[in-house]
Amino acid sequence: MKNYLEKVNLRAKFFVWSMIIILAFGLVASILYYSHLKKILMAEAFNKSEMVLQEVEAIRDYVKEILRPRMYELHSKEAFILEAMSTTYVSLNIMKSFEGRMPGYLYRRVSQNPHNSENRADEFEEEMSDWFEADRNRTFWQGVVKKGSESFFVSMIPDYHEKGCLHCHGSPKDAPPSLIAKYGPVGGFRFVEGDLAGLNSVSIPVSRPLALVTKVSVGIFIGTVFMMALLLFVLNLLFGNLVISRLTNIMGILTKETDDTGPAAGTDHLPGSQDELDHLKESFGDLTRYVSLARKGSGPEPNFIGPYAVEAPLIAGTLSWLYKARNTVNREKVSIKIPFEDTMLNPLYAACWQTEMKVLEKTDRHANLIAVIAREGDTLIAEAVDGQDMGTIIDRQAPYRGKELLPLFHQLCDLLAHLHNMGIVHHDLRPQNFMFSGDGLIKLVDLGFASWREIPDAIFESGISPQGDFRYMAPEQMAGKRGDSRSDIYTLGVLLYQMCTGRLPFEKTRSALKTRLRIKENFKPPGAYSEEISKEMEAVILKAMAGDPEKRYQWAEDLMADLEQS
Amino acid sequence: MRLAVFADIHGNQEALEAFITDVSMRRIDRYMCLGDIVGYGANPNECIELVRSLPRANVILGNHDAAALWMTSPYSMTQDATEAILWTMEQLTPDNANFLKNLNPTIKMGNMLFSHANPYNPMAWRYVVDRKYAARTFSRTGEKLLFVGHSHEPLMITRNNFFKISFRTPGENAVADVDNAKRQIVNCGSVGQPRDRNPKASYLIYDTREDKFEFYRLAYNYRKTADKISAAGLPRFLSSRLSKGI
Repeated sequence: MKNYLEKVNLRAKFFVWSMIIILAFGLVASILYYSHLKKILMAEAFNKSEMVLQEVEAIRDYVKEILRPRMYELHSKEAFILEAMSTTYVSLNIMKSFEGRMPGYLYRRVSQNPHNSENRADEFEEEMSDWFEADRNRTFWQGVVKKGSESFFVSMIPDYHEKGCLHCHGSPKDAPPSLIAKYGPVGGFRFVEGDLAGLNSVSIPVSRPLALVTKVSVGIFIGTVFMMALLLFVLNLLFGNLVISRLTNIMGILTKETDDTGPAAGTDHLPGSQDELDHLKESFGDLTRYVSLARKGSGPEPNFIGPYAVEAPLIAGTLSWLYKARNTVNREKVSIKIPFEDTMLNPLYAACWQTEMKVLEKTDRHANLIAVIAREGDTLIAEAVDGQDMGTIIDRQAPYRGKELLPLFHQLCDLLAHLHNMGIVHHDLRPQNFMFSGDGLIKLVDLGFASWREIPDAIFESGISPQGDFRYMAPEQMAGKRGDSRSDIYTLGVLLYQMCTGRLPFEKTRSALKTRLRIKENFKPPGAYSEEISKEMEAVILKAMAGDPEKRYQWAEDLMADLEQS
Repeated sequence: MRLAVFADIHGNQEALEAFITDVSMRRIDRYMCLGDIVGYGANPNECIELVRSLPRANVILGNHDAAALWMTSPYSMTQDATEAILWTMEQLTPDNANFLKNLNPTIKMGNMLFSHANPYNPMAWRYVVDRKYAARTFSRTGEKLLFVGHSHEPLMITRNNFFKISFRTPGENAVADVDNAKRQIVNCGSVGQPRDRNPKASYLIYDTREDKFEFYRLAYNYRKTADKISAAGLPRFLSSRLSKGI
């Protein structure tokens, strides 16, 4: 998920995060509403149940205080008319009728020792009885009780025996005979004054009001999300037009100017870490670096390294700048390689720079390799070079005819044979690493990622991802292997392709590594671009660019020999 | 790519000069010297300078080179060899001695491995001329082609399969095909002191485009060399053996 998030561009990132925030917002809103509403509904339910209970209590009081004494007056003391004298019977029957009119209210009147065994208290009611008996001041209880699978709002009132009750609930000897005849002498007797007679409770099942609340909450959630999504869509349009399209424009300008001039220039970052703003930040970084470094030597204040006065910059390499310079002692014109600040700060690149310096100092002289004169600390003093970087020249003058290619390639292959014979592999033979002087002389000025069999290879030991320009890189290097002399030959093949056809077999793309590796297998053969390229030349290029290193030319001399023959 | 492989010059300036003259006519791209530039012969400095002057050359440390620098003991060789080494030590210029000191015992180039005597454990200086050491060499290295010297006799050893290793002595000026499927150990013989009863200097050229080994024998003025050795006060046998090729 994290990988996916990193891959998408700015607009998509904004959209995805907004959606997440909206959903969270909707969720919070609906949860708050749900709990609030639930509280209100609970209070109302309690209220209602209490009301009904008190109503029933009023009825029972009426029976106790008015109806029963009147009955005793009219009939004998021994009379027992259940329907007029038992508070339990009266209240239960009235409530039954009530329940018939108002479904949803459950009235119970129970006792631990009832006349009618149907009215026996259940487990919970027995607990509540104990609770009430523990403190006579407790006269009312409310709560949510779970009975079986359903939950109920319950209001409860205890009932204590008074003197008048004991006529039917005291000793069975004193009770009316018709009572005993109806219910038997076992249950409902042997109470004394002040005992807990029973509990009255009204229960309302919970699921009905809660179901309503849940429905409303979900409705609110959906509504909120919908409204905010609409809002987001509108804002997105606005943002896109006002901000993103303009950012993209700026970025386009910047990347064009600064593409080849930063440290480790041409190093394409591996898949998935960049969206527009990151790229913009990088480009700005490159630009400021370019500006600050280029000021060295071109301002009014001269810059000195040892006895050498640094003049204008010539070209940016992978790890270092190449500046024009002058020896103030003997007026000799030289060039200086100064490492980037970023190079010296990064220990890996600093090691690569040390390697580059060693290789340039110790390699036998070659006409196509920049010759080192001296070393001042961490900078190299080398012979003066002039001309332009080969990349610019090729872009301007390609495609070359066969005859024009040979002198160029002769120099390249000869240089490569010289380096490979010494056990030096360049690994990054882009045209931007060569200077092309007016008289057709090519000079290799940069060996940032080179390896030498005599010294440890920093890049190999570090296991870092492929370094260099992916357009020129051999497939095994892109796959993560360090590569060997045959990788250089592959790059030579790409150069040949570029010189023959005027375009590169692969263009820079910001795509995943897997797609890029597949691209390396599919490219248009050079013959497709121009009739002028002979079959033999095409065969040479294709063999040099073979995906499998075993199938490529193994030696630069062989490449040159085949080229001469075609 | 045409690679000239030669070894065991042993201070024999005449043979080396003949070699250089001959090889320069054969369109060589790279040179590989498999060591033992000094020892036995009377011109150690001249030979080193001639080898260093070759373009695009790589040089490997031989056992006599190592002994001349006290890297290994000169007393572990035959008496004549020891005497020659002790004499050589006094002749070497500091610059040449420094050159020898920086040589590597093995060099890997592409799918080839070069060493003076045997590529695995190079400082053991084993002769890879029989089945035992050939099998050991094959099993302890990974490269397809292995080039050695040290025995002063040209030889081609091919690993046919797990059980069979075949040996072939190439004739004078023979051309052998490189077997693309099988691993091979190739011995280029000696420039300065051949020991296969043929006094002519021996070397080989490996042509990667044609996939061939070209073995060459060169006649040179061994009498002149023998006289120089005697004049230097070195043991008689070292001069008399040159004409016999032993």
